[in-house]
Amino acid sequence: MKKIRKWPAIYLALIFIILYAPILYLIFYSFNSGGTMYQFEGFTLDWYRELLTDTRLLIIVLNTVIIALLSAAISTIIGVAGALAIAYARKRRVKNTLLSLNNVLIVSPDVIIGASFLILFTMIGLKLGFVSVLLAHIAFSVPIVVLMVLPKIEEMSTSMIYAAMDLGASRFDVLTKVILPYITPGIFAGFFMALTYSLDDFAVTFFVTGNGFTTLSVEIYSLARRGVSLNINALSALLFLFTIILVAGYYFITKRNEKPNGMGVRQ
Amino acid sequence: MRTNSRNFYLIPYVLWIALFVVTPLLLVLYYSFFDIEGHFTLENYRKFFTPVYLKMTLSSFWYAFLITLFSLLIAYPTAYLLTKTKHKQLWLLLIILPSWINLLLKAYAFLGIFGTYGAANSFLEALGIGGRQILFTDFSFIFVSVYIFLPFMILPIFNSLDELNPTLLDASNDLGGSSWVTFKRVIFPLTLDGVKAGCQIVFIPALSLFMLTRLIAGNRVITLGTAIEQHFLVTQDWGMGSTIAVFLIIAMVFIMVLTGRRKRGIL
Amino acid sequence: MTDNTIIRFNSVTKKYDNDPPVLKNVSFEIERGKFYTLLGPSGCGKTTILRLIAGFTEPSEGDIYFNGRVINNVPANKRQVNTVFQDYALFPHLNVFENIAFGLKIKKMKKADIERKVKEALRFVNLEGYENREIKEMSGGQRQRVAIARAIVNEPEVILLDEPLSALDLKLRTEMQYELRELQRNLGITFIFVTHDQEEALAMSDEIFVLNNGKIEQSGTPTDIYDEPINRFVADFIGESNIVPGTMIKDYQVQFAGKLFECVDGGFEPNEDVEIVIRPEDLAITAPADGKLNVKVDSQLFRGVHYEISCYDSDGNEWLVHSTKKATVGDQIGLYFDPEAIHVMRHGETEEEFDKRLEAYEEGSYEN
Repeated sequence: MKKIRKWPAIYLALIFIILYAPILYLIFYSFNSGGTMYQFEGFTLDWYRELLTDTRLLIIVLNTVIIALLSAAISTIIGVAGALAIAYARKRRVKNTLLSLNNVLIVSPDVIIGASFLILFTMIGLKLGFVSVLLAHIAFSVPIVVLMVLPKIEEMSTSMIYAAMDLGASRFDVLTKVILPYITPGIFAGFFMALTYSLDDFAVTFFVTGNGFTTLSVEIYSLARRGVSLNINALSALLFLFTIILVAGYYFITKRNEKPNGMGVRQ
Repeated sequence: MRTNSRNFYLIPYVLWIALFVVTPLLLVLYYSFFDIEGHFTLENYRKFFTPVYLKMTLSSFWYAFLITLFSLLIAYPTAYLLTKTKHKQLWLLLIILPSWINLLLKAYAFLGIFGTYGAANSFLEALGIGGRQILFTDFSFIFVSVYIFLPFMILPIFNSLDELNPTLLDASNDLGGSSWVTFKRVIFPLTLDGVKAGCQIVFIPALSLFMLTRLIAGNRVITLGTAIEQHFLVTQDWGMGSTIAVFLIIAMVFIMVLTGRRKRGIL
Repeated sequence: MTDNTIIRFNSVTKKYDNDPPVLKNVSFEIERGKFYTLLGPSGCGKTTILRLIAGFTEPSEGDIYFNGRVINNVPANKRQVNTVFQDYALFPHLNVFENIAFGLKIKKMKKADIERKVKEALRFVNLEGYENREIKEMSGGQRQRVAIARAIVNEPEVILLDEPLSALDLKLRTEMQYELRELQRNLGITFIFVTHDQEEALAMSDEIFVLNNGKIEQSGTPTDIYDEPINRFVADFIGESNIVPGTMIKDYQVQFAGKLFECVDGGFEPNEDVEIVIRPEDLAITAPADGKLNVKVDSQLFRGVHYEISCYDSDGNEWLVHSTKKATVGDQIGLYFDPEAIHVMRHGETEEEFDKRLEAYEEGSYEN
């Protein structure tokens, strides 16, 4: 490795400071007894206390988590089936078509996804709320799971499948005893990504949710539109902690599998 | 795998594609031909080509272009320097970590930092420049957008730089190329795929993120995304919203063709 | 076809889509308890034969018999054969024990029996005590053994080995050649081994099939094939050869390099154009006056066990000589060889015709 000289180090340090400063700024003021984001008057945990006694907010957190877990689980099942379908498609043209359709929702802007799902749900007469949000989250998580699982299937040597058949395995045995165990790390990574996409989604949920149902992102948006409130700071500090734990978990999973499955960034 | 088992994998996945990929897109197209009272009309398309909407589209593209450009200018050196660090995967993870934090929280942080009495103004006053209105300006919108998109631009560039075979650089040096020539003739062309990927990942959302314009830019900046949200959720004119969405989709397809097909997945 | 036949190919052709066939009308028989090698360059169809026997692919035309029954459409998991793959195809998510027990578990064998059999298989491949190792902790040679154990534990009648030694380094490869041969003798079952390495084939096999371009060029014991290649391809592919044009004046007399020589081949037309093969190790260097041929040394390489000396005769034919003695480049030397060292090949002769001719003139020679 080349030695890092002075200017490059300063440049990198500056980037890191800019990236982290706003987050740390938020967390810092979450301890401000002054109630503003510019004058630090004294240390307090009041905002956290208020947050934790706010039952409405706790229900919203619960909603968000339930939506995330359910949508991640269901989209993982559909996504794994999809990845298998794509990987074992005989014709190249079928494979490419499936892959392109798979990627449509990944490259589509959230507004388009949200607006088009809003039309879809209204057309079929679905009441906007828990079910519509859940369906939307499943829908946009499926292609992510596919993309996380597919490379794992494709890296698997075909001779492994032949070996299993050679040793007497039926097609079902091959799937349950060889393919699924082999791609388990990919399945976990896919589930995890789906989970974080769902937890973090704002725009799509904003479109397809009704009056009675809110997730955390939507709640933060409506709070922030009303202006600064240090409740949000406390909330973001907790979320930051939670994110770090999740990332550490993800890092651990991919590290354990040696070959990282592609590091994900999210929006 | 034979036909029967392939069909078994296909069922849930193809259902998903039909219901949540193809149908919504067709619905958006369908709705774009209806006015607010539900009559079939081409009025929406005519309206889109009036100066008001064209100007909005143009300015949306201009902002997206600026955001992409600044992201690229900052991200490329960062990615390059990151590949030279010792524990580059760890540093990369740290660069990406902020992207895992809810976008709304980061935007909210800038409400505090750029606020009238915020850290930015204190800093300017300390420099003797004096405080000024930062929030709700073009500058704040572009700054916050670049801040948010930076990790998404860094990652693909980092990956393509990282994949670069180091012997190619040795070969270029060996053939008498200076550092600048090596960069211009070898490194940059070979990492162009990463740059294109990054631009694609940044440009499309930059056209469509509506929450940033709402929170940071006030109503000074209206992007295609903001306009769609406005029509769907505020004025309830789904027809006009769909028409703008159709043009956003066309723009998206155009950008994807322009930035070329990439070998890897989007993540 | 004898009772001992276990596998028979009857005019088998294999085509993929509109490509030219990879196997063209191939027929052969495999007997119980022997070590067979399918030898040929890449793309010759040897692996296709293996895949047809294993059941990974079906013949386009013709029939494959196993123990007298046509098995064309029997799926791989219902066949009494097991394969050792080139990349071993060990399951990375299972440990050594679980890999070897895979087939037995699918047969729903009792736990105690599985354990006993896996232990036995591990002993056969000299890996006792490795049951709980993870695959990624094993070296290439050890993985190879696990793959073999995984195949033999199911007690198949035939084991197919698809270039299993190609990933090992030279020393380990030689070691494994001995072990595989030993293993086959101990188990007494049929091994079908695929390789492109002629030395490997010669060292291990009871019988070799030399394949080229989707056809079997020649089959026979290693000595048969080495000593009496039926055509230029086989002579070239197996060992080093000097191949020169010649004329068969009459039986047991051949002319090449402008001279008449006594030989041991017969059954040709008078004055028939033929090709002559003499192995480099059958040529001995002598003084120019004592040699049957006079050649000029052109270049020389030291190969460790011998020198490889390239010479040219006055007709411009190249003669490769393997000698333990050094020659001097530019010198005129003599080459001596026995009449038995000359092998005569007829142009375009098939294996059947070759065998017939051989029989005919050998019978004739007894009458003399």
